[in-house]
Amino acid sequence: MTEMQSNSDNIDNQFTDEMNSENSDHALCNAEVDEYFMNIKSELGQVDRLISDAVNNLVINFHYISKLTKTHHEMVLVIEKMASPEASKPILELLDKQMNIADKIEQELEMAITSLQFGDLVTQLLAHTTHQVEMLNMELQRVDREDNWRNGKTALHTIHEGITKAVNIAKTKNNRKPVVQQGMQMGDVELF
Amino acid sequence: MAKTILAVDDSPSIRQMVAFTLKGAGYEVIQAVDGEDALEKANQHTVNLVLTDINMPRMDGLKLLALLRKLSNYKTVPILMLTTESSDDIKAKGRAAGATGWLVKPFDPKRLLEVIAKVIG
Repeated sequence: MTEMQSNSDNIDNQFTDEMNSENSDHALCNAEVDEYFMNIKSELGQVDRLISDAVNNLVINFHYISKLTKTHHEMVLVIEKMASPEASKPILELLDKQMNIADKIEQELEMAITSLQFGDLVTQLLAHTTHQVEMLNMELQRVDREDNWRNGKTALHTIHEGITKAVNIAKTKNNRKPVVQQGMQMGDVELF
Repeated sequence: MAKTILAVDDSPSIRQMVAFTLKGAGYEVIQAVDGEDALEKANQHTVNLVLTDINMPRMDGLKLLALLRKLSNYKTVPILMLTTESSDDIKAKGRAAGATGWLVKPFDPKRLLEVIAKVIG
């Protein structure tokens, strides 16, 4: 083997090593980006499950409290009817207080109906955010596949433009946010 | 005889809150989980009012609205949209498709009952 041939072999080997390294870097980078976005998606899914579970429990509690309140209200009414007109003033006052408490609990329960709708709003927002994350992942993967920036042929500004383009495409693919509410105040009502 | 309301929403908690409110006021409530389910139930029952969400899997509320308005027995039935959506363009789409009114979530039970009483008497 001549020295020239040896050098040529070395260069070939080096080139092959670089190519392999480039390919594995390319694959690794994609896998890392993908894994990063998948983790975000998984965490958003976890938040959604936690909220759904909490809402389910709250709704069960709500129904139970509502039933108890109704029973309490009915009992107070029965006791009030049973009480003789000559019943002592403190007893009648106590019944009156009980009735007021029952009314207030019912009012609070009505307000809780509005608050308990937060699960639906949050679930829709999480689905929207998850979709945006998926879109961005897809677009960044596309930029990564299309551009040959790894071999240094692409200028930095082109990489920057590619990423900006990917973000913009991800935005336009899913630009309608289904939930704009910032709080749990009652929404508008309009009859056509 | 109690009036029947078809409540359509993919969120179980919203369906429960709507049903709780309406049943408490003496209405019969049929629940549907999405547009397809609602369309099936609308064909099986006599409904006095439809209260539907918009963003749902399989069939959304606007599609349901359009399909219901094509059915002869739903041409005059009030259809209220109960949704998180509040933009003017989507409201205009709903109005053009034949929606009777638009309620933005979260709903207040008293206000919901007032609106329903107003449209179905």
